[in-house]
Amino acid sequence: MTDDQKILDSLKDPSTRELAFRHLISKYKERLYWHIRKMVMNHDDADDVLQNTLIKIWNGIDSFRAESSLFTWFYRIATNESITFLNQRKKRMMPGLNDVNEYLLENLESDTYFDGDEWQLTLQKAIATLPDKQRLVFNMKYFDEIKYEDMSEILETSVGALKASYHHAVKKVEEYVKSHDSRIDL
Amino acid sequence: MYEENNIEPEFMKRPRSNPFRTPDHYFDTIEDRIMGAIEHEAKKKTTSATGKIFQLLKPVLGLAASFAVIYLLAYYPIKYFSPKSMVKSETTNISSPETLDAYTFNVSLIDENSLVSTIFSDETDTLSEIKPDELLAFLSTEMTDLEIYTEIQN
Repeated sequence: MTDDQKILDSLKDPSTRELAFRHLISKYKERLYWHIRKMVMNHDDADDVLQNTLIKIWNGIDSFRAESSLFTWFYRIATNESITFLNQRKKRMMPGLNDVNEYLLENLESDTYFDGDEWQLTLQKAIATLPDKQRLVFNMKYFDEIKYEDMSEILETSVGALKASYHHAVKKVEEYVKSHDSRIDL
Repeated sequence: MYEENNIEPEFMKRPRSNPFRTPDHYFDTIEDRIMGAIEHEAKKKTTSATGKIFQLLKPVLGLAASFAVIYLLAYYPIKYFSPKSMVKSETTNISSPETLDAYTFNVSLIDENSLVSTIFSDETDTLSEIKPDELLAFLSTEMTDLEIYTEIQN
């Protein structure tokens, strides 16, 4: 029996449910946080989305069918929560902005928990200009080095479509980096 | 694609480090915060369920309360200060079942024929007392109503 299966069994028992969920959080919190953080870019937003994600997991854990791995399911919830959050924020707080990308750029510049150098800031700005799906695929492939097959399961998209998304994303990032920072030696 | 075709752009060859950081000890408290938020959420759900019922019943309760106030403000002054009710209060109450029974009982005892004969018996007697001569003399005199009245009085 896998560790996840043991946790799931403990979650079904009301007397061990809370303890099991704490164990689950401690096992996946960092991976989920960084996945969300790369999507929303700002720490405060990432914290809100992580909380929403974990509450959603708690509320839906009874309906989880082991058709995919537990983490695949978590990743999917975190992805959906991130995209929903960005769309809501854009509508509520930034009615003047044209799209999510502008909100992300402002978010990135206002984030006090960004320690990157000039090159990393340019790269993140380039990523922020990508459409949601391409940004997601780029982050998962470039930073997390997730295999296309696993990504396909998480995002419920074909491997071919994911490869195409990544190809377009890399091209756009490259163009942005070249045009926005000539001082960076590529 | 890039990997397969070996046409990776230059920026891809740079070291891929995470430029983001978190506040100190951020990950240490997540479990407690999440469990607290879950508890808070559950409480909010319970409260909002009760609140929803109240919200649904609010207009009905408001309407009922309004009717009750109108009833108290309008009914009692009308009841106690209207002329009809003041007359009522000064007369005998006959609406009690015992009194009504007594009345219906007495009426049922009266025979219809005896009632008719009682009503018309006095009238017959009065008419029989008037003599035809007196009646003719009365009718032949051309007296006004006033003259007749003064004569009777005298």
